[in-house]
Amino acid sequence: MAGWSFGDGRGFPQEAGAGLFLVALAAIGLWLAWELPVGTMRAMGPGMLPRALCVLVGAAGIGLVAGAFLVPGARLAGWSLRGPVFVLGAIVLFGLTIRTLGLAFAGPIAVVVGSFASPEARLKETLVFAAVLTALCIGLFKYVLRLPIPVIAFT
Amino acid sequence: MGDLFGNLALGFSVALSLKNVALCFVGCMVGTLIGVLPGVGPIATIAMLLPITFGLDPVGALIMLAGIYYGAQYGGSTTAILVNIPGEATSVVTTLDGHEMAKQGRAGIALGIAAIASFFAGTVATLAIAALGAPLTRLALLFGAAEYFALMVMGLVFAVVLARGSLLKAVAMILVGLLLATVGTDLETGQERLTFGLEALSDGIDFAVLAMGLFGFAEILRNLDNPEARDVVRGKIGRLLPGPADLREAAKPVLRGTGLGALLGILPGNGAVLGPFASYTLEKRIAADPRRFGRGAIEGVAGPEAANNAGAQTSFIPLLTLGIPPNAVMALMVGAMTIHGVIPGPQVMTKNPDLFWGMIASMWIGNLMLLVINLPLVGLWVRLLKVPYRLLFPAILLFCCIGIYSINNSPSDVLFTAFFGLVGYALLKFGFEPAPLLLGFVLGRLMEEKLRQALVFSRGSFMTFVERPISLGLLLVALAMLVVALLPSVRRSREEVFTE
Repeated sequence: MAGWSFGDGRGFPQEAGAGLFLVALAAIGLWLAWELPVGTMRAMGPGMLPRALCVLVGAAGIGLVAGAFLVPGARLAGWSLRGPVFVLGAIVLFGLTIRTLGLAFAGPIAVVVGSFASPEARLKETLVFAAVLTALCIGLFKYVLRLPIPVIAFT
Repeated sequence: MGDLFGNLALGFSVALSLKNVALCFVGCMVGTLIGVLPGVGPIATIAMLLPITFGLDPVGALIMLAGIYYGAQYGGSTTAILVNIPGEATSVVTTLDGHEMAKQGRAGIALGIAAIASFFAGTVATLAIAALGAPLTRLALLFGAAEYFALMVMGLVFAVVLARGSLLKAVAMILVGLLLATVGTDLETGQERLTFGLEALSDGIDFAVLAMGLFGFAEILRNLDNPEARDVVRGKIGRLLPGPADLREAAKPVLRGTGLGALLGILPGNGAVLGPFASYTLEKRIAADPRRFGRGAIEGVAGPEAANNAGAQTSFIPLLTLGIPPNAVMALMVGAMTIHGVIPGPQVMTKNPDLFWGMIASMWIGNLMLLVINLPLVGLWVRLLKVPYRLLFPAILLFCCIGIYSINNSPSDVLFTAFFGLVGYALLKFGFEPAPLLLGFVLGRLMEEKLRQALVFSRGSFMTFVERPISLGLLLVALAMLVVALLPSVRRSREEVFTE
């Protein structure tokens, strides 16, 4: 989803985008809650509230889309790819490596990958910074605070 | 009255133990250290630092967390004054005159008056909590399921009214928050709901995970999108202690700000956010020369800062007496308390009096500490703020990852924060505010539980909410607020307040 950028400079109306986002969310929710029993007012089932909320979220979304057609509003700003890809990528890599490799590797990986989200990143500086930062974190979290965080996981 | 002082004495005897003073100190210190970082507000700070309290006993952990909270708040004001970047919504107002003062070479005085105003407001608010705690707790015992539900509805309506921008969008965010709260195992039937069949979701979405994604990571993405030139004050910080003339000018705004902030902070639905705005608007309106505002008027720092801190403190009242968190930060405190085996609510005061009063006393000690430790450390914060963002944000990223992983020792939590970071980024692009979503999420479970209970008692009749007088009163207040917010004239001035 994070990749739209309308080149013609006008862009998609922000409110309509927001409304469609809500409608999509409501649809996913309804689909997931479809099988859940609704129950009665006296004894509400697990499905009652999720379904009711989905309907309301969807209605709000439709309201926003309708409003966007009636009143011209702000346009969606361009979505950058670089930031989300590297930042979220760094977080995902941290999550995947913290148990399998340990903080001694997950830390530098997250810092180095993450820092490339900024166009100003410099490789050599980042490598040194990542090493220092990781060492500090290991000292602080593992030895001072004694959190059960794996430093080197594979042995 | 004698009761009040007896309780406070108990509190101070707990909070003044060497260990607890040290924890309060460390909390204030690291809270400020993280809170000073641009784009890291109190929510991300607390979520990040939560794991460092895990090894402590409950009293010590909560005292430290309260210290972290005040430190983060004060760190936000420091960034607002020195760099013109508000750490969070409540310090937006401080940037107006605070940064202007800094540009005129009066940064030290702006920081000093902010600290003094906060300390004064904190002292008054601490007394207010101590005085109101017991009567409100008794009131809470009169509350049944219907009243609790009505109160939370009122809180959510306030949150909608207080949100910026379109009301419809704020309502939508509340609804999405409530919807996200239904994810997980149904409390009554044990059936899994909306989990995509994922085992990690069967206990529901962790609040810290959601908050860190929506606030911490999305904020980093937003900052990367708008590489604003950070306008760190270059000149001298100057004298820190305000002179008698400054103090005289600031005294009345501080008093008024404290009153406003303390009152608004008690409201459920994040009333504390409104405090600084209300105080600034009031000071500007009654000033002899309103044109000075926005050009470095000391009243424009003193009043809002006092309101900010008073509200930050009194927002503990609904949490400690009713067990209802009035805003996202307090929701994190609920999470922290639950981890330490304390369920917030009216029973805390009777079951753990040393915890309750110890925490209240430590709030005051924390405020005093901020005054004492932060002023000499201003130079250090300035240097920290000059570190380029390209180095700061990967460090923030790593701290966030370690913090989230450590809360449950769960790698899947880290992956979920990445997902919510993406959602948060999308919400920002669509012009939604994430704060009402978090509040809806926070109250969602309790609301559903109380709604279902109330309807069981009333045999399925919604009339129960209007037949019971307290519940009816709360709902009428909510309705009145909503109607007022929809009036065209109020709508206009509401927009003015937020764009100012």
